Amino acid sequence: MLNKNQLLKFLSYKLIRFVLLMILVAIFSFVLLDLSPIDPVNAYLNQAAVSESQRAILYEYFGTGVPLHIKIFHWLSDLFHGNLGISLIYRAPVINIIFEKSSASIVLMALSWLFSGIIGFFLGVVAGKNKGSWIDKAVKVYCYTIQSAPSFWVGMLVLMVFAVYLGWFPIGFGVPIGVNSSDATFLEWASRLVLPTLTLSLVGLAPIAMYTRNELIQVLSSDFVLFAKSRGESGWDLIKNHGIRNILLPAITLQFLSFSELFGGAVLVEQVFSYPGIGQTAVAAGLQSDVPLLLGIVLFSAIFVFAGNLLADLSYYLIDPRIKENEIND
Amino acid sequence: MDNKTKMIMAGVAVVAIVLIGAFAFMGGSNDDDPAHLRVAMHSNIAEPKAGFNPLTGWGCGHQNYNPLVQSCLFKTDVNGSIVPDLATGYSISGDGKTWAVDVREDVKFSDNSTFDAEDVAFTFNTAKKTESELDLTNIENVTAINKTRVEFNLVEPRSTFIYDLRYVGIVPSDSYDNSTYGGNPIGTGPYVLDHWDKGQQAIFKINDNYYGHKPYFTQITLLFPEESTWLELTKSGEVDVAPVATSALNQTVDGYKFVEKSAGRAQGVSLPYLNDTGIVYNGTMKVGNNVTADKSIREALNVGINRQVICDDVFAGHATPEYTGVDTRDFANPDAKVADNDVEKAKQILKDGGWVDTDGDGIVEKDGVKASFSLYYPPDYLDRQSVSTVFAEQAKQLGIEVKLVGADWDTIYQNLYSSAALMQQTSPDPYKSVYQQYHSKEMDGFYMNPNLYNNSASDKLMDDAMHANDFNQANSLWSQSALVNGGGWGPAGDAPWVWIVNYDYNYFIKDGIDIGNQPDGLGNDVLINICEWTRTNSTA
Repeated sequence: MLNKNQLLKFLSYKLIRFVLLMILVAIFSFVLLDLSPIDPVNAYLNQAAVSESQRAILYEYFGTGVPLHIKIFHWLSDLFHGNLGISLIYRAPVINIIFEKSSASIVLMALSWLFSGIIGFFLGVVAGKNKGSWIDKAVKVYCYTIQSAPSFWVGMLVLMVFAVYLGWFPIGFGVPIGVNSSDATFLEWASRLVLPTLTLSLVGLAPIAMYTRNELIQVLSSDFVLFAKSRGESGWDLIKNHGIRNILLPAITLQFLSFSELFGGAVLVEQVFSYPGIGQTAVAAGLQSDVPLLLGIVLFSAIFVFAGNLLADLSYYLIDPRIKENEIND
Repeated sequence: MDNKTKMIMAGVAVVAIVLIGAFAFMGGSNDDDPAHLRVAMHSNIAEPKAGFNPLTGWGCGHQNYNPLVQSCLFKTDVNGSIVPDLATGYSISGDGKTWAVDVREDVKFSDNSTFDAEDVAFTFNTAKKTESELDLTNIENVTAINKTRVEFNLVEPRSTFIYDLRYVGIVPSDSYDNSTYGGNPIGTGPYVLDHWDKGQQAIFKINDNYYGHKPYFTQITLLFPEESTWLELTKSGEVDVAPVATSALNQTVDGYKFVEKSAGRAQGVSLPYLNDTGIVYNGTMKVGNNVTADKSIREALNVGINRQVICDDVFAGHATPEYTGVDTRDFANPDAKVADNDVEKAKQILKDGGWVDTDGDGIVEKDGVKASFSLYYPPDYLDRQSVSTVFAEQAKQLGIEVKLVGADWDTIYQNLYSSAALMQQTSPDPYKSVYQQYHSKEMDGFYMNPNLYNNSASDKLMDDAMHANDFNQANSLWSQSALVNGGGWGPAGDAPWVWIVNYDYNYFIKDGIDIGNQPDGLGNDVLINICEWTRTNSTA
């Protein structure tokens, strides 16, 4: 049984770390952004010709020239009141934009995360079980290749093959062109999710497959498997009874820790597929020096990655009874 | 592999095949109404992130433009002339500081409210205060005299004010709310915004209240894709109009015709006009360059390079040589041009200017200074990079060394006053393309008059042009300022720039679509005459 007090202690410890992390991330990213050489007014104007007086109006709007410590103070105090500010380029509250954009990304990221985890684990097990065979070699070659290929490049390949040459899927965008998105059918919507999800999954499954493969090989060469073999167990039963149980937990942990890569991958993939998610928004905010929006997204991604780590910790707690014992007896 | 594994793998394969099969039949769009139009917008009309609001970014600024939802006081006709739209006429006071504009009285906004002079006054007074690239700081105030007459009081007389009246879409004074208007715009234009999937597409439907000629297309979908996906988008057949990237200029796509439109978009190299006297502006920006400040260097480059070759090599012929930066405008001065591709003459100019190759390295020198300078360009544009490269190669044939530096815009701004930079301009408004470009100014670190060109005779003519009351008289004065007493900003004058090309905007337009007659040099909005567009075959 789970000890409630212990769990409470665990969670409050995490909460304190979370708050500290957020404050540090907030300050650090603000200072970094302020030090960046981008002139937000020039970035906004994009070489449009305006007079000095119009430029002055824009400088005031973008807050250029306000001392750093005053800007940080204003921003942090707004943040404590739950106000992330107004996006300069969208001219709408940052929180609304993040909410709107991330809902599209969450579906994409969740599906890719699930597929890359399940397929990656499956491939890893198959490869590990058949170590040295053609299937193992094929999985290895695939994983090494995909690990060293940038995800936007993989995305462009997928786009060219499946959308341009084969014409099976639409070329991009999250909705059918010329159709009101609320009139779009589920299939129309889903078909636009396939290629970005496929790309993210293809890229994401490599680490989990390689890791699972190595773990399984190790487990299979351990004493207790030798013992089981000597008792006559073999084939899938052996893997199922002794292998999977031992490698599942680290695999799950790894999968939760991959949240950060997932986020980074989504930024690139959304760009390639013109998919209107948080990744595209982050790029736009960064290129135009939209400080409130970019900081909002940074905080959001920090929460996202923190949640991944927390879930990984919790999964230890809930899945492996030995760890639960240890923590409780601390 | 035992049976279980095989079964699982077979199962996965079956599911995959079924899924792919299911999706295979639904690749294209279901929208096949011939009266619907799907347009991938050129990258210079980005999706307005703040919404379709002319006061915060939708079409405001510098292009010849059709804001679809809104209409403007004036518009551009097929000859490129500015003609009344919401306005019926205008007059300018003797001192040039008051413009009175009469407006139509038969116009309703798309929400059925009535348009009158009050809306015009409200639009301009609000736009003046709004933080955007729309620069109306020369307006003192705008007042509605009665329902059909509005008066603009200017800080300084400005003959180019007509361009501001041409470009600002009119919004309704009754319902305008700066924070919500962009997502729910109300205007007097031919279309209304029906639906907007942010980051993807905006769908417009016909405005039943539109006072002008009703367009053939009842629905327009605007897409805002990345330049890298233009060609794929065209090949997939999902759009009716898509721009052609420079890298795809020699491609053809079945079912589409290639349409070329002069953009009036000039690219050229700005050369620092002042000598290096050790001045450093703002602690970081060096001012002056002893090589480019020498007139014979600037003249030799203007005469010696082969502009046609650059048009052919970089733009596959979809460009025309550009000499003054405003060749295609009404206020251009043909006398200010020079004949180019004359290497011998260029070498002679250098020789006469005292530039001789004494050490035999192919680069000329004068008083121990090598004819060498840096040229900054933004490397994220393929065309600008290519133009810079070919320019540098050609300069070398003349004995001038051009060192190429690809850099971001903030770095380019830092080096404008001491190095050459590849710049580009579009505006048909002489205030922007002549006055701001060449009128002497204080250093300020920005891109207007980047080389600090300075000629008091030119300045005087430009000031006169700004203050002229008569449009034609103003155009004549702008034209004269390019060449005055052997000086002026044209290549035959002081030659502060080497203008090189005027490139075209190119589109793939689906067979059967007739885009009517468009004015040339219109910048980049292919939709400027959308009300004339039709589809002559019925297969969308």
